[in-house]
Amino acid sequence: MHTHILRKGLISAAIGCSMSFVASAELVLVVHPSNDASLDAKAAQRIFLGKENKFSNGKEAIPINQSPDSAHRASFDTDTLGRSSTQVAAYWSKLVFTGKGIPPKEVGTDSEVIAMVADNQNAIGYVDSASVTGAVKAIPLN
Amino acid sequence: MKKIIALSVLTLVNVAAHAEVRINGFANLIGGMTGSEDNLYGYDDTVSFESQSLFAIQVSGDINSKMTATGQIVARGANDYDPDFEWAYMTYKATDNLSVSAGRLRLPLFNYSASKDVGYSYHWMTTPEAVYNVPFNNLDGVRLDYSTYSGDWEYNASLSAGTFSDKAYDATLSGNNVLILAAEASYEWFKIRGVVGTGKVTLDLASSSSSDVVELGGGLDLMSAVGFSDLANDLQLENDTGEFLGLSAQVDKFDWFVSAEVTSIDVEQSFLAKTVAYYITAGIRTGAWTPSVTYEKSKTDDDIKFQNGIGQIAASPLPDSAKQGLMAVAVGSQLFSQGENNVLSATLRYDYDTNVAFKLDISKYSNDLNDSTDATLVRFGANYVF
Repeated sequence: MHTHILRKGLISAAIGCSMSFVASAELVLVVHPSNDASLDAKAAQRIFLGKENKFSNGKEAIPINQSPDSAHRASFDTDTLGRSSTQVAAYWSKLVFTGKGIPPKEVGTDSEVIAMVADNQNAIGYVDSASVTGAVKAIPLN
Repeated sequence: MKKIIALSVLTLVNVAAHAEVRINGFANLIGGMTGSEDNLYGYDDTVSFESQSLFAIQVSGDINSKMTATGQIVARGANDYDPDFEWAYMTYKATDNLSVSAGRLRLPLFNYSASKDVGYSYHWMTTPEAVYNVPFNNLDGVRLDYSTYSGDWEYNASLSAGTFSDKAYDATLSGNNVLILAAEASYEWFKIRGVVGTGKVTLDLASSSSSDVVELGGGLDLMSAVGFSDLANDLQLENDTGEFLGLSAQVDKFDWFVSAEVTSIDVEQSFLAKTVAYYITAGIRTGAWTPSVTYEKSKTDDDIKFQNGIGQIAASPLPDSAKQGLMAVAVGSQLFSQGENNVLSATLRYDYDTNVAFKLDISKYSNDLNDSTDATLVRFGANYVF
């Protein structure tokens, strides 16, 4: 029991730290190194809102989202998609229940995003620029 | 239709063995009570939850890279929470721009038709009844959806064809040769939509559970039997052409929004009066709170159609009592379908989480012809999606 409480405390402390760190983080788009499509915030917005399912080079685009309780997700929704996470959720509920779209797959961390993007030529995600590794190609969002 | 549903279910089961099956759901739990001795939308002056609450599950699976099967099972409180396959269809994505869906689908009549049951997706407690409460919701047939974009503008068009079967006046209402064309254009924060629809409509008065309506059917039969079959045919709703027109516009700047929709429904060769309904709504979003106001209005034509036929009854050699009885049927049936009312509502939405919203709504209903049915309704609700 005590260890649980202790662990919880540590986790919240860790979350607290990462939150304050994230607040100053800069998000970048990440795609497979072989992806030669031209991408910007506008293209990412269309792909992550399910309005476009292909990259500019005609290849299928598979967006990888971050989980709804992450700070990265909140800033991506606000800054790139131009609406709050709850508004994005309402937007998707409309598409899902009218059979017009399927929301992007969600993963929990930057490293999971990078692992999926490194593994899939069609994937596109967003991570903190500090998390970027050589396994993926980073594209600025601004 | 049962076959299509069975087929879809089989397909879904089959898909389950091979590919990813998505299960989503939504729920609206809505409680409400009216002012003393009022009645509105199935609520009275004691708190109840049945009238507008619903729970739904949607299952969809990819049959292959171009085909999807979707089934939506809805359990409505108004229907004793009996689950019903309201939608069951397959979609074939022919190209990036064009898809074809077949099976049982939502009729794309209104701006919010497709998401009408998903309370989480909008700011109201329920979509404005004056416009959205129509006795035809789902289509058994085919829908073509076309979408494209140019710069920041997006365009969607859909063409639907098929049949529907629903209830009006507690009687079976059926539509054949239904054809609906809808088109919309949207630009980031602006959307405009237009729709035209037509169909051959039949209302089986004898099937009604309301004795008044059955009596009206009997009156029309009698009218026909004593020689006024033209007038009886005019009044009856039997394979008569119905027309639906709709127009909507919305501006959503995220911090605030305003939208309006107007519709017209007319079955000219019938006792039904032409109805024009509209709403206008506006609200602001501030943090997790979305306060909004909505004004809705429904009004029918108030003239009496088929005056010539009614005049022939008056001029006939029938006894006066018989004439009066027949004229009462001819005029009464038309008056029966006439009405004029408006509703003013204030709604507050609170986003508790990215899949849960709470709402509070106060609506004031006014019947412009008969103020004894005026009502005030308070509703509170929770919307959930998963």
